[in-house]
Formats: sequence, C-alpha cells, structure tokens
Amino acid sequence: MVNLTIDGRAIQSEPGKTLLEVAKEHGIFIPYLCYHPALKPIGSCRICVVEVKPGPPRPLPACATYVAEGQEVVTESPRLRAIRQELMKLVLINHALDCPICDKGGECELQELTHALGVGQVDLEAQPTAPNIDYVSRLIERHPDRCVTCGRCVHICRDHVGAMAINFMHRGYFTELGSGLLPLDCEFCGSCVDICPVGALINKTFKYRARAWEVERAETVCPFCGGGCTYQVHTRDGQVVRVVNEDSVLLCGRGRFGFPVLTAEDRLRTPLIKENGAFREADWEEALDLAARRLKEIIEEKGPGAVYGVGSPRATNEANYLFQKFFRAGLGTNQVDNPARYHYVRALEALAEIFGWPQVEGAEAGPRPREAYASPLTLTEAAKGKGFSFVLGTIEDLPKADLALVVGMDVTPELPPLGWAINEASLKDDFKLIVANPRLTKFDRNAALSLRYAPGSERLLAAGLIKALLTAHPDWTPAIPAQGLEEFKEALKKATVKEMAKKTGVDEALLKEAAELLAQAKAPAIIFGAELLAQDKGGQNALALADLFLLVGQPEAPGSRLYPVAEKANTRGVCEVGVLPDRLPGLQPLTSELAAKIFAPQAPASQPGLTLPEVLDRLEADAEDAPQALYALGGDFLRWLPHRSRTEKVLQKLSFMVVQDAFLTDTAKLADVVLPVAVFVEQEGTFLSSDGRLGVSSRVLSPIGVKPDWQIISELGRRLGFPLKYSGPAAIFQEMAPAMPLWAGAAPRATVPAAGFAAAPAGRFVPFDLDISLPGRRPYVLIVGKSLQHSGSFTTHQPCGTLVVTPGAALELHPEDAAALNLAAGDSAKVISSYGEVTAPVALSADLPPGVVLLAEHFGEPAAHTLTLNSNLVRVSIQKA
Amino acid sequence: MIIPLLKGLATTLRMVFTKPITLQYPEEKRPVYPRFRGHPELVVDDDGERRCVACTLCMVVCPSNAIKQITPAEGEYHEKYPVEFVVDLTRCIFCGFCQEACPKAAIKLNNLYELAQYEKQMLIYDIKRLTQQQSRLRDGDWL
Repeated sequence: MVNLTIDGRAIQSEPGKTLLEVAKEHGIFIPYLCYHPALKPIGSCRICVVEVKPGPPRPLPACATYVAEGQEVVTESPRLRAIRQELMKLVLINHALDCPICDKGGECELQELTHALGVGQVDLEAQPTAPNIDYVSRLIERHPDRCVTCGRCVHICRDHVGAMAINFMHRGYFTELGSGLLPLDCEFCGSCVDICPVGALINKTFKYRARAWEVERAETVCPFCGGGCTYQVHTRDGQVVRVVNEDSVLLCGRGRFGFPVLTAEDRLRTPLIKENGAFREADWEEALDLAARRLKEIIEEKGPGAVYGVGSPRATNEANYLFQKFFRAGLGTNQVDNPARYHYVRALEALAEIFGWPQVEGAEAGPRPREAYASPLTLTEAAKGKGFSFVLGTIEDLPKADLALVVGMDVTPELPPLGWAINEASLKDDFKLIVANPRLTKFDRNAALSLRYAPGSERLLAAGLIKALLTAHPDWTPAIPAQGLEEFKEALKKATVKEMAKKTGVDEALLKEAAELLAQAKAPAIIFGAELLAQDKGGQNALALADLFLLVGQPEAPGSRLYPVAEKANTRGVCEVGVLPDRLPGLQPLTSELAAKIFAPQAPASQPGLTLPEVLDRLEADAEDAPQALYALGGDFLRWLPHRSRTEKVLQKLSFMVVQDAFLTDTAKLADVVLPVAVFVEQEGTFLSSDGRLGVSSRVLSPIGVKPDWQIISELGRRLGFPLKYSGPAAIFQEMAPAMPLWAGAAPRATVPAAGFAAAPAGRFVPFDLDISLPGRRPYVLIVGKSLQHSGSFTTHQPCGTLVVTPGAALELHPEDAAALNLAAGDSAKVISSYGEVTAPVALSADLPPGVVLLAEHFGEPAAHTLTLNSNLVRVSIQKA
Repeated sequence: MIIPLLKGLATTLRMVFTKPITLQYPEEKRPVYPRFRGHPELVVDDDGERRCVACTLCMVVCPSNAIKQITPAEGEYHEKYPVEFVVDLTRCIFCGFCQEACPKAAIKLNNLYELAQYEKQMLIYDIKRLTQQQSRLRDGDWL
C-alpha cells in the first residue's frame, strides 16, 4: 500500500493507480475531459492538472501520474484554477455552440465542465475553421466542429475495437478528427460515439429522437450473440431509442444498432393457423386449443414419444427449462434437443469425452437469495468440481493468458466481446497470439504467427501441433492430470509433422514454431468457434483441440482455458438447462436424483431421446419410431441446418408442427400453428453467455399481442393436462436453480460455474480422425460463414440498423478467382454445388486464399445452406449468372 | 335640494364633452404594455420558418407542465425542427420561463389575453395554432 495526502487528507492506495483514480475513489473532485475509466491514460487535455510534491515545479496531469509513497497532492489552488480556465477557453474557442440541437446536450462532459469551472465567456479569438461535417457515413455522423480533440475515440477504436478507423488529421489548432477525408468504412460498432465526451460523434439511429434527460433507463442483456453484454436500454414513449454500455462503452454494431428490429413490420403479432395450405390469423385461445388438441390426438395414437421438441438459443433459460419440463414431466419422454446440436453441442460432447461431464460437490441450499435471478444454492468451503465446465474460460480472464491460439474462427463476427478481450490482451508485452484460419482475419495483424491452412483440415493442424510439440519435447508431461498419453502417442504415430504440414498447407517450420510457442507458454488459451464445429467432423475438430489443450493447458493459470464459442445469446444456456435428449438440467445424467425431483411425480425416462439429426434421418427413412409432431421453440431450421432442400422435404412429412417464433420464417411457414413470441426487452428472463455469464433480460416494453415463451408453454401444458403454473420467469428460475448444483452461486452478471469451486480438471487423451472430408470435384471450396453485422437471422429484418451496412449476403472471392471467372464486384454469380444452387452478388476480398469462397448464412436470400450437405464446407463451381 | 341635482347635471354635462375612460369592448380592445405576458407562441422568422429547434428546454423549465409534447424531426439540411408542439393553455401560468430559457428566441409570450373558451379542448394548442400569426392586437414593435 502507498500512503499519500490529497488536499491534506491522508489516503492509502494500492500501488499502480493514478492520482485521478485514487481521488475519484475517495470522492475528491478533479475536473477532466480526456480521461475515461475504460481507457489507458491519454493525457491530452491537461485539465486534470494537480500540484504534486515532491515533483517538478510545474503541475502534473492527475490522469497520468501514478501514486507514490509520501506524495502531497493539491487539487485546487488559484494557479490550477487559472490553468484549467485558460485550457477550457482554448477548448471552447471555436466550439460549435449548437447545444440545443446536439444530441449530447444534457449528458455532455464539456457542458458539465464549463459549469464546474465557471467559464462564463471566452475572451480569445481564432480564425474560424470549416466545420467539415460528415453526414455521409452510415450509422455514425461526425461533427469535427464540436470535437475537443481528446483522443478517446481514437484510443478505443485502436486499442479495444481494433478497427483503427479514425484518427486525427492535421496538427495544432487545425487538428481534426477524420478518416482520411473519406466516409467511415469500419466495423460500425459505434463505440466511438458513446465514448465521445461531446457530440462530435453522433449515433444516427438516435439522432434527434430524444434528449438525454427524457429517456428511461433499464439494464438488460443483449439478445444477439453469445457475448452476454449487459447494457442500458434507453426508452422513450414506449420505444427503445438507443442502447448504451455505461461500463466499458464497448458494444458491437448489431448490439448497438440492431434493436429497431423490435418494431419490424413483418413481426408476427397474432397467432397463425394453417387451413388448406394458407395461414389465417387466429386468437390465442383458438390457436392454443388447436395445438393442444392435435398434440393430444398424436399422443393418444402414437404415444408420447411421437411428439418431438426443439428448444431455442433465442429463448431464455426459463423458457427452455420449462420446455424440457413439458416433455420430461408432462409427456415422460426425453424427446428434446436444440439446434446447437449442429455446432456447440459437438464441442460439449467432445469436451465431455476428454474431461468428463461436469460434477460438483459442496453446493448446498443457503439463505433465500435477495435477487430474483440468483441461485439459492451456495458454495461451502469444500466446494469442488471436475469436468469440462472447469476448463472453460471467461472473457474477463482471457487477457490474463499469455498466449491465445485462435483456430478456425473469425473472432469478431462470431463473438465481438472475445475480440475485445484479445485486443486487450494484445496490449500486454508478453502476450502472443497465434491465428489459424484459412483466410486472413482482423487478428492476423496482432498475431505472432498466422497459420493459413486448407479449409477443413483443423484437426490435422492440431495433430501437427501436438506431434511437433511431442517431437521437440519427448518427455512432455501435461500440467493437467491426464491419462492415456502413451496410447495417444501411439495413435498419432503415423502422423508426421511433415505430412500434416503438407496436408494442411501450413509451412512445417511455422507449425514447429507454433508448437514451441505453445510449449513455452505459461498460460495458453485455445479459442475455437462455430465455423469449425459446424463441419461434419466438427466433433472431431473439437476433440483434437481439446487434446491439444489437455497437453499444454495450465489449469492453475487464470486465462489458460478453452474457449469454445456458443454463437447465440443463449446457446450455452439452452444446453445447460437440459434441452438435450441425454442430459437433465445442470448437464446432469438422466439418472440424477436431484434433477428428478423437479419432474415429480413423473420420473424422467431413463431412455435418452433422439437427437435432432436422428429425427431428421428417421423422418426421411419413414421409420416406425419417427416423431409425428414437432414443437419448436423457435429457430429457422431451413436457414440454419445444412442441406436445406432435404430439411424442407423431411419437415413436410410431419403430421403436425407448432412453431413459436417472432417472425414467419421459412420453417414457420411449414408449421400448422405459429405462435408469436415476445423478444428482447419485451420479456423477462436470463441468458447464459458463451463464457457462462448469467445475464438478466428485463421487461421494459409491453408486448403487443405476443406472449413470452414460458407463458405459451405453460398454457399448452395446462391444456394437455399437466399444470406448469408459475407466477413468472423468476419463479421458474427459483425452481430450476436448486436442481442445478453446477449453477450454485449463480447471480446476475456472475459466471457459472462459480469461481468458488476448487476446480480439479483431469482428462483422458482421445484419438481423433485424421482425414479431410471434402468430397467432390468442383473447383472451389465454399465456407458458409458469419457476417460481422448480423447475428442469427434476427438482424436481417428491416429496420435493423446494421442492414444499412450489410444489406445482404455476398459471395466473397479472391480477385484472382474473380478475374478467372470474369466476374467483377457487384456482378451476380451462380454458385452450384451437388445439392443445389444459389445466385449471389459478388464481392472481392483479398482476405480469402484463391480457391476458397465465403458466403454468409444469415440471409433468407441467397440461402447458403441450399448448397451444403452435412457441413458448412462444400465444394462448388461458380458461373456468371 | 336643487343644488345637488344641478351639480350632478353639471358633471354629466362636463363628461359629455370629455374623452371616455371606458372602452367599447369587444369592438374596441385595450392595448397592453410591452411587457404584458400573454400565452406562449412560436416565433416565425422573416422567411416564414419557425425558429424553434425542438431542444425542449422550455418543456424542462415549464413549472406547471403546460408544454406537453415536442416531437423533433430532421430536415433536408440536417436541421432540427419540431413537427409537433403541444401547449396546454389551461395549465399555463404565463410566467414566461419558457421565453427566458429558449436559446433561439423561438418561443415568446404574446400580448393576447382573450383565452375564454366554452370547451377546454380548444385551449390545448398544437403546433399550427401555436405558431405566431399576425394579430390586430399586437403593437407594431412587438418583437
């Protein structure tokens, strides 16, 4: 601890803090303009100057001066006041005094500072400069005439977002915020807008919609990706006008600009019933009665197993929990699954194979939690856990790692917060990044090594790394207690580094270097995403990377963890609350007695249900045990499952289908009853983020005509003769949380499993396949990937703000390929695979290697999965359309 | 007995030849002093445009919550202007705070004082009725 005095007050502080931070903690006011808690000190405005003794005779900026033993700090004196006032006058010299129309008016730090420092008028004059206002850029408007050149936006864009889209132009008095005299062409995350202390950067979707003091604020969790950002949603007159992250300021484009989708014209507002092939609007009673009657008929005729349920990563934990309870307690079957089966569940199963399913001890019922969404289970001192949940990392801890290996994932489109964490880690000197991807991604710039491998060869790459490491270090012992290393080495005997290098297309020396970096790392993290899991051998890919982690992981070091990416807001939650055919809530086995209590008096069936792919296979084969009815909590299977034409054909074989969704998706169009649901701030509940953080969605708007998922499930249950009666989502949470020891200590914004568990991960090496399965003779490899501006299909409905940036999917290909095909940007190209064809506009991208093309999967048109068979990789040929 | 009567008649006679102090209201209207506070209205510039930029400061300062609604919009040249401006004159206390708060001198209290109505609804003014119009009651140097 450091002892110092500020304005005569004796203060103790931790070393390494700045004077400004310490003063703020102790309620001592020091005015500032360029400092922001989310950023490193900038020190450009000098308004926070203080007198420091011992020190130089001139005042020092408090934001960039670190505390030292015996310091005497004076924050207020006539000299300091004169300096601050003079600096403020210089800032205000030509500040555009358009506070009445500036959106920042009322929450402007310059306004507050002018009041605080009592600067009544500016007696200085300067040559006026041209305002150069940028009205042209999309989503963001720039007013350089309001800029105070503090540099916050430049720093957040460079250090945290990693886009480096804006910087200062010119020097001195003529310094101006700019992007090279061109409109902005960045990630459009809008973080610069919210960090701007004045109104120099304006959010176009919020412009002129409300004054700062008119909005009502509520905290909620972002409904888009699996990042689980909690932010404040600002509403006025029952409409969301903007969302702001008041803590770290960082949000991604879809988080910040995606909310207008709530008011989309094509949102469903009344239930629909299909009659003679056409939908008609119905009221809730009629639709629910019909759904219940038809389900009852099918159950009576074919047994309860004939009804199959598909949960949703869009719905809350409470809704998904109730959904699986509907099947387990109501129908007595395990016939539920969720669409993450095609990516995230593969990772879970691979991890479970190596590290085991999570098991915890020492969680017991504690006092009734004060918060509605906090688990009543608390951790005892002896609390410990094992299994794969304890090798999964949190985004917060990632910067503590000293090496991150990112495999097969374009981080920012899949999970923006993970990208920010990598950027934050990259600011450290001792952090190294290895990026392995077939294409160039944003993070290659920060990477110590870039491994450019052939699409679909991820597991070979992992094998190459493992092999190179074991060859260089024959006596390697993993830090995690592991079994089966000898057998594993034996299984990999045939795979040589040279062969792996040849098959993956990565230079052998690079592979060895990467392996050496992994071997040297004190806290290596391994990050992988949906792009690699969505392949037909996605499970094998996950297995390979989990083996690699078992080899090099350092469980004692925070940050040295595995980071499989759960793509949507509740992809991890839907699995953890038990919407799986073979796992109960809390990922407990079907035999768990604790979880069985919640299904009383019905004991959960001991027979695991069918998985979603198995259901589709059986339907296709017209098997005897194929389900007759499907109850989907949401999710557009046609758009997200590979081989669209087959999915469509197979779903048509169902004799009855109920879909709950916010939009009439292509899948919902096949349904017999469509029930519209509340989304985002129209409903209450929790989401579990990709890194296990519990986020609470609060109900701010009253949904018009639609119902929250849990209410619909509960009403259907009542009509089928089993009451699922709850006062609200909080009551559901309080029922499920006691049955899930893995969630002990869970609370809003806290992570599960709680840090209090003494983690004892242990693993067993499991050999994996070493083949590349990318059959066919067509010349190009298509990767069905993610778009930066979209999350699921939700953001593809007007008037979502990010549609301005990315209005549709484009076929991205290398300029050389385009030239060979005689295609130019903007042309439309016909993409043909053995399973279908689509027409898409062409975009050129030098990020892709020649021979590899990319198409985003979010859009209804062109529907990327028309082309695929069982993987997100497919061989295609391309023609000019 | 006759003297008081004659006195009275003399007064009457004198008054017949002096200027009357009453006004023939409503045919004739009493002019008001320049600082008289009538009801608020939106000032129009020479080019016929309202000055208001919908900053809502008047709404914030209004002590009696008479300014009910200001809906801003963005114009062709990115200017901000109100598309709706509602003042409930039944609540207005004619304090003039709005005029004082306005950074654009866009809202002023006029010198109209005839606000009696049979229906309350008539006193809830929308943007059209709030916008300044020429009125015979106003002095030439009103602005």
